[in-house]
Amino acid sequence: MSFLAPLFLLGGLAIGLPILLHLIRRSSKEQIPFSSLMFLAPSLPRVAKRSKLEHILLLLLRCLVVCLLAFAFARPFIQRATTAPLAAETLHKIVILIDASASMRRDGIWPAALAKAQGVLKSVAPNDKVALYTFDRQIHAIVPFGQWSQLPASERIPFTQSRLSELKPGWSGTQLGSALTSAAETFAEADEQGQNQGSRRLVLISDLEEGDRLDGLQGYDWPHGLEVQIEPVQAKHPTNAGLRSISEPEATPTAEKDVGPRVSVSNSSTARREQFQLKWGSIAAATALEVYVPPGQTRTVRVPAPPAGTIRDRLVLVGDDDDFDNTLFLVQRDPEQVRVLFLGAEAAKDTTQPLYYLGHAFQQTRQQAIKLEVHASTTPPTDKDLAAARLLVATDPLPDNLIEPIRGNLAAGGTLLLAMKSPDSAVTIGRLAGVTGISATEAAATNYAMLARIDFTHPLFAPFADPRYSDFTKIHFWKHRHLETGSLTGMRTLAAFDNGDLALGELPIGKGRLLILTSGWHPSDSQLALSSKFVPILYAMLESGSGSHPPLAQFQVGDPVGLAGVAASGSGQPLTVLKPDATRVVLTAGETSFAQTDLPGIYEVVSTQPALRFAVNVDPAESRTTPVPIEEFERLKVPLKASLVEVSRQAEHSRHIQNSELENRQKLWRTLTLAALLILLIETWLAGWMARRASFQLEGAS
Amino acid sequence: MSSGTKGLAAHSPGGGGVLDQSSFIDAQSLMAIKNLELRARLVVEGFWHGLHRSPFHGFSVEFSEYRQYTPGDDPRYLDWRLYARSDRYYVKKFEDETNLRCHLLVDQSRSMAYGSIAHTKAAYASTLAATLAYFLNLQGDAIGLLTFDETLRAYLPARHRPGHLRHLMLKLEQSAAGSLTNLAEPLQRIAQTVKRRALLVLISDLLSPIENWQKHLTALTACGHEVLLFHILDPAELNFAFDRAVMFHDVESGKRLFVDPVVARKDYLRKMEAHNDSVQSLCQGLGIGYSRFATDRPLELALFDFLRARMRRGKLVKRRLS
Repeated sequence: MSFLAPLFLLGGLAIGLPILLHLIRRSSKEQIPFSSLMFLAPSLPRVAKRSKLEHILLLLLRCLVVCLLAFAFARPFIQRATTAPLAAETLHKIVILIDASASMRRDGIWPAALAKAQGVLKSVAPNDKVALYTFDRQIHAIVPFGQWSQLPASERIPFTQSRLSELKPGWSGTQLGSALTSAAETFAEADEQGQNQGSRRLVLISDLEEGDRLDGLQGYDWPHGLEVQIEPVQAKHPTNAGLRSISEPEATPTAEKDVGPRVSVSNSSTARREQFQLKWGSIAAATALEVYVPPGQTRTVRVPAPPAGTIRDRLVLVGDDDDFDNTLFLVQRDPEQVRVLFLGAEAAKDTTQPLYYLGHAFQQTRQQAIKLEVHASTTPPTDKDLAAARLLVATDPLPDNLIEPIRGNLAAGGTLLLAMKSPDSAVTIGRLAGVTGISATEAAATNYAMLARIDFTHPLFAPFADPRYSDFTKIHFWKHRHLETGSLTGMRTLAAFDNGDLALGELPIGKGRLLILTSGWHPSDSQLALSSKFVPILYAMLESGSGSHPPLAQFQVGDPVGLAGVAASGSGQPLTVLKPDATRVVLTAGETSFAQTDLPGIYEVVSTQPALRFAVNVDPAESRTTPVPIEEFERLKVPLKASLVEVSRQAEHSRHIQNSELENRQKLWRTLTLAALLILLIETWLAGWMARRASFQLEGAS
Repeated sequence: MSSGTKGLAAHSPGGGGVLDQSSFIDAQSLMAIKNLELRARLVVEGFWHGLHRSPFHGFSVEFSEYRQYTPGDDPRYLDWRLYARSDRYYVKKFEDETNLRCHLLVDQSRSMAYGSIAHTKAAYASTLAATLAYFLNLQGDAIGLLTFDETLRAYLPARHRPGHLRHLMLKLEQSAAGSLTNLAEPLQRIAQTVKRRALLVLISDLLSPIENWQKHLTALTACGHEVLLFHILDPAELNFAFDRAVMFHDVESGKRLFVDPVVARKDYLRKMEAHNDSVQSLCQGLGIGYSRFATDRPLELALFDFLRARMRRGKLVKRRLS
């Protein structure tokens, strides 16, 4: 027998009430006169001794009524054995996904994560399918479903446990969103292998740091029936601050400009400390820069240049609990020498000519030292000059002797920007493209023309794709040329005027390309040179131009480092990279990308002269160690598996519903209530009969 | 006038006298006699009977002293019988003769109507008063009567004349259907009524707060009256021997109170004891003779107490019974 509301059974304690009432001696209605009450105080009713209990039968009946009522209110029902057979032992498919990013290196996290994973493995039945993955920027299979299935059933768990114990956290950033979706897709792979039965559970073991990128989860269509169980692990210490480089240090600081890099120091929002120090080289360095960063905030500081004789390539943050992200590696590199050739006979200081504006647009920056060389027809550039130039610019028709060298340069991958100051340039276009019959005319003189159709998908205009920057209507073109592009195959219109004429087009020639601007940027043609968009467009042309591009100096762990420029300028030998742990990685011939940036530190391409150095740092996002609330996953519609408490609550709820249905069918409470009423009637009759009998006896006695 | 009593001093507690209570009439048997005067006579006779059976029989102090006659003495007081025996002239010296005025102050409030045994406190008090009246009447003293409840009810001045005793008995026999016990006003009125110095015998259950009447009692003694107090209490009031929890009904105020005697007895007895003790100490302080009587106590003992109290003050009335 079970009860739907067992708490009502406590009402059975009310059985004490009739017993107590029976024990209390009835206060007599009899009065006795007394001379004076001045020495008397009122008394409470006194409880009789148990042996003096009267009317035992009545008492028993009353107690029975109380018990029956309490019993009825508790809604009893008889539990029958469920007829439904127990569900066959279901097959579970479990993917254990362990965060192995740099933030998991914090104190106490990794053992806790492994313990949780071991806990999951212990709860696995031999029939279950389990896969073990780690993830940082991407997912790494440790024990995939296939391998698990191939192992004998008895060896599966020990093998996975041994693989688990070998794991160590890496240094990469975290792409939690894509990792989750990739792991979810592994179920689909398992299903394809014919294991499409049973429940599917994805166990995520992570510190859920704020820097985890959850972008990929937005709108992801989760496979049906998949449950994500999140097992967060927490660091022992809440304070963590991280370093991030904002600008690279000056390569050759002068006496007046002896300044170091600008770095931003961010503190976790749960931090308990706010005062940190920045030191050059190592923790033991004598001089330190004090930085005050309140919890959850970021401060940007200019670090003074290191004193002479100290290590200049690393900056150490001192004062927080975890040091995995406390070293910032910096590589100082000389500005890249970039050559731009201007083919024409314009005076550099003539403000009416395009060259003047070109010269002012290409200013020397910290990373690039642009050298603008002007070659008039009298001093044609040599092939070597052309090959070394990253961008060729011409505003006038090219002389015949330059056509072939430039065609060769373009075919080899060069870039030529041809601004048509006059319709005559059409001939040059035709000759460079190897097409005859190209002609251009001066466009009809209207008030002005504007850029109307712009291809923002092209790298030249991609920076302006944002609506905040995509307004080109302020650039007025007073004059432009109408170019017939019908016979130019492969011509891509990057921008067109509002009258439909081509404004800027890209014509691929060989590996290179010819950029055609049908107007000029000098004041007589347009306001382009005065526009804020002029310089970015020119630099975009420069970036996409030919020539060797040395890799950037700063990378994050896991970033592939493009070494194409280095390889091109080298002697054709395979590149050798020296990693911070002194291991050497030799790239295969033709391989121009180095992907093994799995450690933070200074890397060196030793096969070039001089050796090319680049720094690889921990992803700054890893420093944002404040845990993401689970609710964030719910918001992203991640099908979270209910916690154990929730599961038990749901089970309790469903059991309660079943019980209430059962009780509703049996309705034992009615019988009990009727029985209580019946006994009440008997009790009333009995009490009346006894009272009458007592009064008769009294009358008889009197 | 009687000339004296015989041998009463020998019955003082200090004198080592033995009172055989079994020889006295049982109070309940006595009270069964309807006639009050008869009751009083029985008691007094029993009292005398008891005296004669005392071991101090024959010891006489009927006169204060003999002394030899000296010229100038009144020759009337010469004891001629002694002269006949001894041939000496002796003068018989008597104490001063006084006319005792005794006022019996009898409480007839409703509380006196309570009795847990066959008779009430009021009946017992009346009998006691009658006994004293009879006794004093025998001695030839003037007896007055005042009955009171919350005020004076009846007043008979102190007299000694034929028929007065009967009149007094009749007054006493009238039922005691008074109201509240309020000693203050009656005592005040008595002080105003009784001008001449007298013996006041107050018979009451004193069931009212002592502070209410304390100063009036003091005033009575201050007026020069000699006061004797007979504190009459029912045995049930003294031991509170109830066993059932019932509603107690105050016969005076009509209030009702549910009292469980088992629980309340201890407290009641403590309060009662405190009240009685304070009454007793008040009387002691004022020089008032105090006797507490349970209504089941033989009335002869009341006479003993009465006379003992009188002797203690050295004012024993010497009367020769005729």
